[in-house]
Amino acid sequence: MFKKINVLLIIFIFFITICQVNIISGELNNVKDYLDYLTDEEESALQEAIEAVKNDYNLDVVIVITDDTEGKSSMEFADDYYDDNGYGVGSDASGLLMLINMDQREVWISTTGKAIDIFTDSRIAEMIDHVISPLSEGNYFEASNTFIDDIKTYGEMGVPQGQFRVENEPYYKVTYFDKVLRLMKSFYVYLIALMISGIATLFVSLSSKGSVTIDNHTYEGKGSFVLSSSRDDFLRETTTKTRIQTDSGSGGSSSSVHSSSSGTTHGGGGGKF
Amino acid sequence: MDSVKGYKCKNCGGGLEFDPASQKWKCDYCFSEFDKHEIETETPLEDSLEESMPELDSYHCTSCGAELIADSTTSATFCLYCRNHSIIKSRFSGKFKPKNLIPFKITKEQAEEIYKKWINKRIFAPKEFKKKEEIEKITGIYAPFWLFNCKGDGMISGEGTRTRTWTSGNYKYTQTKYYKVFRRGNAEYQKVPVDASKKLDDKFMHMIEPYNYNDLTDFSMKYMSGFMAEKYDVEASEAEGVMKARVGKYLEQRLKETVNGYSSFVTHEKKVSLSDIREEYSMLPIYLLNNKYKGKDHIFIVNGQTGKVVGDTPISRSRQFAFMGIVFVIVWVISVFGGAFFV
Repeated sequence: MFKKINVLLIIFIFFITICQVNIISGELNNVKDYLDYLTDEEESALQEAIEAVKNDYNLDVVIVITDDTEGKSSMEFADDYYDDNGYGVGSDASGLLMLINMDQREVWISTTGKAIDIFTDSRIAEMIDHVISPLSEGNYFEASNTFIDDIKTYGEMGVPQGQFRVENEPYYKVTYFDKVLRLMKSFYVYLIALMISGIATLFVSLSSKGSVTIDNHTYEGKGSFVLSSSRDDFLRETTTKTRIQTDSGSGGSSSSVHSSSSGTTHGGGGGKF
Repeated sequence: MDSVKGYKCKNCGGGLEFDPASQKWKCDYCFSEFDKHEIETETPLEDSLEESMPELDSYHCTSCGAELIADSTTSATFCLYCRNHSIIKSRFSGKFKPKNLIPFKITKEQAEEIYKKWINKRIFAPKEFKKKEEIEKITGIYAPFWLFNCKGDGMISGEGTRTRTWTSGNYKYTQTKYYKVFRRGNAEYQKVPVDASKKLDDKFMHMIEPYNYNDLTDFSMKYMSGFMAEKYDVEASEAEGVMKARVGKYLEQRLKETVNGYSSFVTHEKKVSLSDIREEYSMLPIYLLNNKYKGKDHIFIVNGQTGKVVGDTPISRSRQFAFMGIVFVIVWVISVFGGAFFV
């Protein structure tokens, strides 16, 4: 009897949670102004602009204004907010989130999916530059509009040539035990162990015989060798030239990425205002 | 004249044996010791071996009279019944009279110790090879060798290259100069040993070289006392072929060493001719242990003068797998638990 009630209870709690998520995402609004800095008209104008970006570039855009980041850093909060609330377009949840962290007076742009590649480190730095001056003047609507305009500009330009991702250390704490577990599952560890043990066995097996320790001098009479004739005649010469390859690696633009607590890969950057 | 020779102690009449440690002759029964001079005065008539003696159907121990059991090439051995050493004189006479020999320097005990050390390092060797009774089977043998002296005259010719690289602007230049290289030289080769016994594996006999020829002394049967000995069954003419190939290579290598200052050298032509070939018949000391394992012979040889070791042991599959398994586990544990500090 208790069991049945328990099961029912679990199902009930489950539904409640689902519904709550639905409620949040139902009224999913891409502009989350917890401090009411923006008027309702401004909010809907931004929402409209965001819808347009979503349609044109398949990128989700979120603007969050808050002074409570639940003790997380701006980067962590921005990433988690994006992941936990189910933002994003497509299977890789492409999109950007701009967090205006009033507690730290910091702005952070988090990129996800396709946006990571489009919005490279240098582009993010420029976007941050653009929004910092309106933000420091308290002009939040203007900052948001600049943000959306920049997304359009870069969205039009697409992924720059030679763009590559740079893996950053994940910021969530990986314990020693996690690493051990990961290595235990690693195919390479088995391969390396197999190779080393194989080579060691082969080496020990082959070393069982003796070796010849005499050489061409052993039986040669001391001082008996006479070089009676020696000639080195020049025949011909050739010269080849090859172009020196210049290193092209530095020319590309990079997108730094890291993993958030949910394991999703994010890019982005930020600055103080 | 006796066909079998045994050296007797002048104090008690027991058998005398050559002792490598003291380089003297020792009596096993009364512990008397005789040096080379004493033993020569004791048996003043070192029998003449110049004349060939007829090969007999059977030989008998000088001590107990029992028939000696020996291969047709065995020239010094022990009586199976009384352990008295016996030297079959006919097999050291005539064309089988060795010119010289190197006496044993390593004692049987030392050879056993060397074997123990060696076999313990062979972790894949089956357990049977490490038994005490197996180790005691190690035998000191005077092995027949042909020592060749000869003169060699040889030439090599080939192509050598010298390369130089430099950079200029955006280009890297590589200049290669080609030379025709010619070298001719001659050298004398002294006492190149070639195994003269078919019974002993040529490859291993080659590997126990070199011997230090400073200890080479004129042959005398008294050194055979206490050891086994074999007479040659590889004729000098046959052994000469082996020697020629070896010396040819030595001279070629010697000439190549004079080709300096090239980044690469390829030999196109080589020729070596040997002259003044003279051979000496010599007895060189080895300790031999012949193990049979699953129908195959496995040889262990110690150079009786220098102590150099060669040999081969069978590989026990199960030991091999166990070893590999242990290494695998150790490497795996180190990489997982140690590697976790670095990833």
